Amino acid sequence: MEYPKYHTQIVEALMGGKFILAGDKYFDELKANESFYASFFKVSFRYELKYSQEYAYLVSTDTTENLSRDISIFFAILCYELDRDGKNFMDELQYAEFEMDKIDEYFENSTYKELIKANNQLKDSESRRKLIRNGIIKRNIATKTGEERFVFTPASKVFINFALDLARQRSAETEAEGARS
Amino acid sequence: MNYAEPKTVLYFLWNYHDLLFDLFALQRDKGYISRELMQLTGKKHGHDILPQLLEYRVLRELNEDYEIHSVFYSLMEFLLNEFKPLLPETIQKYHYSISALFRKIRESQGQDEKAILQNRITDLSLQIKEFVELVEKNTIKLLSETRELKSNVAKIDYREKVHKASFWIEYYIVPLNQILNVNEYDSVANKLYEISEYVNQKRLLYTDDSIRGRFEKLYNQLVQVNDDLLKQSKILTNELLPLIERIKTESTILTGWIEFLKNPYKVDTPEILKAERGYPYSSNIYLNTQEFFEQYLNAAPVFVDEPQAPAEKWIFDRDKYKSKLQQELPVEDFFHWCADSLSSEYQLVETDKFFSLTGLLFEDDLHLDIESGAKPGKVSTTDFTLKVPKIKINTHGVSEIPYTDR
Repeated sequence: MEYPKYHTQIVEALMGGKFILAGDKYFDELKANESFYASFFKVSFRYELKYSQEYAYLVSTDTTENLSRDISIFFAILCYELDRDGKNFMDELQYAEFEMDKIDEYFENSTYKELIKANNQLKDSESRRKLIRNGIIKRNIATKTGEERFVFTPASKVFINFALDLARQRSAETEAEGARS
Repeated sequence: MNYAEPKTVLYFLWNYHDLLFDLFALQRDKGYISRELMQLTGKKHGHDILPQLLEYRVLRELNEDYEIHSVFYSLMEFLLNEFKPLLPETIQKYHYSISALFRKIRESQGQDEKAILQNRITDLSLQIKEFVELVEKNTIKLLSETRELKSNVAKIDYREKVHKASFWIEYYIVPLNQILNVNEYDSVANKLYEISEYVNQKRLLYTDDSIRGRFEKLYNQLVQVNDDLLKQSKILTNELLPLIERIKTESTILTGWIEFLKNPYKVDTPEILKAERGYPYSSNIYLNTQEFFEQYLNAAPVFVDEPQAPAEKWIFDRDKYKSKLQQELPVEDFFHWCADSLSSEYQLVETDKFFSLTGLLFEDDLHLDIESGAKPGKVSTTDFTLKVPKIKINTHGVSEIPYTDR
């Protein structure tokens, strides 16, 4: 049986929890063999291949991944603080370059201080740097642009869409409650 | 009636433009200029020009207060590019005036109506011009309002932002877009399209030359208007609506994050794969290593007291060996000389004695010549085999190699 080109690299990246991004040669290969890979991961590991026009990644329903929660809290606080700073956080996430020091400034002056202190991945500057380097950048949710700088990739939309869905879900719940009463 | 010389009025406007722009800002914000603010503005600029403002009809009295005459207000609006957005209902009135004039033009028949037809064509042209100008002004203002909302320099709360965005969409952008939508049956754009088709025929077929010329002019104007309206419509649909929609989406996302942060540990976050770690060594290596080291942790200390044979202590006699070295100059290889000296005296080269002897190198009056690139030699002591550079000592006091050549 002949496997697609870059098969090893694609499997290694996805199994390592990485996002493969559009524009990457692996993404093109994955796109050309989307159904093969969807069934390959399903049959071999019971993993689901999530695929969009901008990124692809694997999910597993039977794993409890704390990293996802930590990253979600990180994005939630960052977006909230960017907005509080009068910035359009969607534009910032899409186009701006972030500095670790600036991230520290936002987190240290955040109104969610209690929540930050209680989270081991966010509690201090060193923990946040570790989360950004080993969690966010390593998984291609952001790309390193310098020693202390990075930009977010389209993979960050997974978390943004999560917030969007949550808002819609809560709004629907409130409307349903209103209709009942 | 204005009796002042036009030049005088223009000079006056030029001379007091700062004060006038301040008055313009006051009227733009409140709709009128109160008597108190009029006095304060005059004081601020150090001029009392109220009599001239009234004489030149720049201002007019409004009970106790004042307002800028609409001609001057429009001029300043134009100069400062600061237009107040008009409600689309206000712009929609042109639909009636344009439609009425068009109907009359179509009804105009015969030579008797030639004069009035000319006037109606001129008026129609004027109405269309005014309509296009108002649309342009509104688009400019809406664009600047939306961008301001997006840049959020005033740092307004996100709920307020959504409220404002919804307000602009509902009352200004969508209705204006309807007016400019040529496919909407009762839109002004649709009416202009209908007029354009009619005028196109008349500019070619109308029997009277002068009227044909007027239709020709109107037709050219309508072609230009069509382009302009298309441009304005594109700004609305391609820029303003997505911009405003984006503000709304952004705020929804923020609502989602705020909801999430209320209790982040009770909401299911996005599923991502737990990365599997592969080690090139046994997964038990940590425990094995720990076990290995732990066996020494509680070991009782053992002391061994070994009797040492009394040995005669050797003291380095610097003067003796220095004079021996001076006598044997030139020495081709200093370290071998040290080893040979010790070997001939004690039969073996003990490490501590050898190192003591090499201390002679630091004597100030010995000049060393180190041959660059020379292969290092080896000296064996009782404990080590040492790799040593070849150091030549030719003379005592003056080196053979000039210092600069080293």
